[in-house]
Amino acid sequence: MRALPRLLGHRAFVTGAALVLVVVLAAISADWLAPYDPLRSAVRMRLRPPEAEHWFGTDHFGRDILSRMLFGARISLAIGLSTAMLTGLFGTMIGAAAGFFPRLDHPLMRLMDALMAFPAILLAIAVAAVLGASVANVIVALSVATTPHTARIVRASVLVVRRMDFIEAARAIGMGEARVLMRHVLPNVAGPLIVRMTYVFATAILAEAALSFIGVGPPPPAPTFGNIIANGRDFISDAPWITLFPGLAVVVSVLGLNLLGDGLRDVLDPRARA
Amino acid sequence: MRRRTFGTLAASAALTAAAPRLAASQPRRGGDAVVAIVQPPPSLDAQITTAQAARDITLHIYETLYARDENARPVPELATGVTVSGDGKTYVFPIRDGVKFHNGKPLDSADVVASLERYRKIGGSAALLAAVDTVRASGTHEVTITLKSVQSTFLDNLSSPRAPIAIYPASEAAKPANQIEFIGTGPFRFVEYKPDSHVKIARYDGYSPNPGATGRDGFAGKKEALLDTVTFRFMTEAGPRNAALEAGEVHLVESVDGPVAKRMGANKSYTVYKALPFGFQVIKFNHAFGVTGDVNFRLAVQSALDMEEIMSLSFPDIYQMDGAWVYPGSPFHTSQGTERYNKTDAAAAKALLAKSAYKGEELTFITDPLRSDVDTATMVQEQLKAIGVTVKISVADWPTVSKIGFTPTGWHFWTHGFGIEPYEGPASVMAPWVGGASQQKADAEVDRLYAALNAELDETKRKAIFAQFQARFYEQAIAMKAGNYGNFQVATARLKGFTPYRIPRMWGVWLDQA
Amino acid sequence: MAFYLAKRLGGMLLVLVLVSLLSFGIIWLVPGDPTSAFLDASATAEQATRLRHELGLDQPLWQQMVAWYGRLLHGDLGRSILLRRSVSVAILERLPVTLSLTALALAFAGLVGVAAGTLAATLQNRWPDQAIMAAALLGLSVPDFWLGLMLILLFAVQLGFVPTGGFVPFGESPSGWFRSIALPAATLALVQVGFIARMTRAAVLDVLHQDFIRTAAAKGLGRARVILCHALPNAAVPILTVVGIVAGAMLGGAVIVEQVFSIPGVGRLIVGAVLSRDYPVIQGGLLFLAAIYLTVNLAVDLLYAVADPRVRLE
Repeated sequence: MRALPRLLGHRAFVTGAALVLVVVLAAISADWLAPYDPLRSAVRMRLRPPEAEHWFGTDHFGRDILSRMLFGARISLAIGLSTAMLTGLFGTMIGAAAGFFPRLDHPLMRLMDALMAFPAILLAIAVAAVLGASVANVIVALSVATTPHTARIVRASVLVVRRMDFIEAARAIGMGEARVLMRHVLPNVAGPLIVRMTYVFATAILAEAALSFIGVGPPPPAPTFGNIIANGRDFISDAPWITLFPGLAVVVSVLGLNLLGDGLRDVLDPRARA
Repeated sequence: MRRRTFGTLAASAALTAAAPRLAASQPRRGGDAVVAIVQPPPSLDAQITTAQAARDITLHIYETLYARDENARPVPELATGVTVSGDGKTYVFPIRDGVKFHNGKPLDSADVVASLERYRKIGGSAALLAAVDTVRASGTHEVTITLKSVQSTFLDNLSSPRAPIAIYPASEAAKPANQIEFIGTGPFRFVEYKPDSHVKIARYDGYSPNPGATGRDGFAGKKEALLDTVTFRFMTEAGPRNAALEAGEVHLVESVDGPVAKRMGANKSYTVYKALPFGFQVIKFNHAFGVTGDVNFRLAVQSALDMEEIMSLSFPDIYQMDGAWVYPGSPFHTSQGTERYNKTDAAAAKALLAKSAYKGEELTFITDPLRSDVDTATMVQEQLKAIGVTVKISVADWPTVSKIGFTPTGWHFWTHGFGIEPYEGPASVMAPWVGGASQQKADAEVDRLYAALNAELDETKRKAIFAQFQARFYEQAIAMKAGNYGNFQVATARLKGFTPYRIPRMWGVWLDQA
Repeated sequence: MAFYLAKRLGGMLLVLVLVSLLSFGIIWLVPGDPTSAFLDASATAEQATRLRHELGLDQPLWQQMVAWYGRLLHGDLGRSILLRRSVSVAILERLPVTLSLTALALAFAGLVGVAAGTLAATLQNRWPDQAIMAAALLGLSVPDFWLGLMLILLFAVQLGFVPTGGFVPFGESPSGWFRSIALPAATLALVQVGFIARMTRAAVLDVLHQDFIRTAAAKGLGRARVILCHALPNAAVPILTVVGIVAGAMLGGAVIVEQVFSIPGVGRLIVGAVLSRDYPVIQGGLLFLAAIYLTVNLAVDLLYAVADPRVRLE
């Protein structure tokens, strides 16, 4: 790949990749790194401040915050990644259909406009309320909320690519519409799409936390960054560590992904800005 | 086992103040108090809602014919008493003369009749008046009620604070649900309601106190409003709610977590009150769905659970271990059946589990997002894992959970608080299980005992019936009670004359000058 | 122009119809109904049925839809089930709250964001640029509700500068209003400042690379003058677009911030309505927010055209 050396020379990309790598490695090796069972409650160890035995303190169940964060990273990252994949999949399907088949363009894009006209968080709350709270449903809710914008980006790229000469050439030599789409158009859409998916990954981690805060996030006892924070909010003035550390973990993960996205954008999609 | 019983508690100690400080200051009129409550009231039309948040406010504005005293016994409030006919089916209530509504209209029997008729149609707990045959004005200040059949709990029902049978002016009682003007006879009158923000009430200077009353007594007794206004602010977030008290923006917080209450208790600027017991933490089984329909499985769960661990985590520093299905101090309190409560016997549980139909499938525990309910579910899940039972917790908002919880499929366990029912008395504790309403499959014995209790006028015999009910509950593990929980209420030390009760009563309360 | 406007308004109407259909879909699918807000867990099914009838909720959905669209044609959004007022009144009561919150946040984010972005562009690739851009990205990576909680902890609890929540209307006390809204507005703004700064920097850089700027610099104009008098006005269009986008995003952000700070705004109205199943408020509120969002978008596009004659509306 020509892009790889340029990416490796891009400072934001490298910094972001390093941050994300740290979070991913922590999540993968949670089984070895976590000093305690993240689900195990201990009445006597309730609301302990950060100390040698519990670096980030304990919650009101006496559960170790660090261990919960390590395992929480797993689910939060899984939610982010799955949402990014789903929004990529549906965004591409809808955006490509709208961009390539003029008759579908208007109805599909007005539907996307309607979805975008809801504040994304309200849309996610409504979807979560309809489906019930579970990790899978949170992913669905966030995918619904992020797909319209993705579809728009894909459609815009498809429209640009479609007008290019080599597409006309492909058509001229009798290639079918579907094959032109698969063979020539989509690969050219990949750059903006990957950039968008990276940002969606970041957004989904933030949104999971917000949904947990409203009370429609992934259910307990499995930890996510969001529900650890939500759990701690009742004790915010007496045990701020419950809220503080997982909040910082969200910031680090999202910052890493955003840097990664910036790097990818500069290299893969130089037309787009900021 | 770590078990404590509360049978010896003094009968009057239904609710106790943790830090009873002698009020050194003198009661004074004036002042504006702000009370932080957790939930907004769904409506201030007292008759149509059973929500605690509504009660907190409406019982300051409206009064009832009979009201509960400090020990939850019915005593006259707007009525001056009652004469019951020999066959127990006709009740004649003389109505107090000279009482004026907040709009200046004098109270008469037409208002009472209209209010009772409205309640029978649209009351939030209309079953309370199900035994009523006719309601008529037998004088300008006398109302006669006839019953279809004898009902031992009729005065209890009439005085229930759950969805209070509030007396409205006849003009308001003619209006549909939630569309009345908020006019009552209580010591405070309604001023304004700002959705998502607050309700404000003000002292009603035309209030006519109950001449028979001496001191503050439950929802009845002497109700002397001293404060100029009381504002109930709705604050759902615990952090800002507590911070508002510390910043002096709020004078009383209705519900404070244990650790926070402990810290504030150490500070002389605050007074910490304990409303304990305030409710039962109840864990329901769905008898119509899967393995929770199997009595051996339910008994296995009942034997396995360490209720003290559940209570101490869900309600830190404010719980009582008691297996009885009424509050300690109630005349109906009994230890019948409670030898099966809080056993924490893993061996017995595993033996019962082996006899049951459980095959390792994942069971669903539904709960609303209230922290204590989620915590209870989480602890049950953890403890059942130890005997090999897999539980999945499903959290959804209250409308969803209460919908699913009253359908026969889709759930095995459900937990929530049970507060007003034990306060109302044994019949209200039994009612939710009649016809299988809460467990989705009727238990003939429970239904029989409920009917018997309602028809029995002799209190000794009614106690025996309730004891049988409680025994049945434990033998069949129809549902479980984890324990009694309470509420820490924290006020600025300037707030005087306050004692906690089922609602934060603001009559008889004043603010010392800063 | 008139044709373009008519076309856009037509499209907007279509989108609003879709929005209302989607909200009906949500209402139809979401379990539970408004009676659960009135009743506790011991209420019988019969009581719920009775109350449902009292509240007029026992009609089939299609009848409710026909009635709703009928009323909408007369400009009537219906009545709230819980709040005892019409939906339009409920929204209009809260609109000043949400508007003053977003306006203050937008003013703050706009000023700081544009200034920081311009500064960063001027000093491209030097350390202030990198510091500003790092800070901007950090701001974009912070969960807003978490930031709000932390700000409450610091400024309201520890330092006691401002109240912990609640809202004071401007008419009641201007200083009280500012104190009650400062922290929530800062929370809302901090998350968006980064976005505006990044976009401004890119827009200004774009202009700085154009010939007329080089000419201006070659004429010997001071650097500050070049930036302020030539580069910034020419970057106005993209910056304006960004501010429009941010305004839309803030409506969404306000939902959460109002929740954290117990501010009775439109966002909290709708979240509360979803959680209590106050159907008419969900319907009307979502339609209203969508209308605002679309209007802001349209206004931005029109401004775009006015500010930059090269943009042709088609």
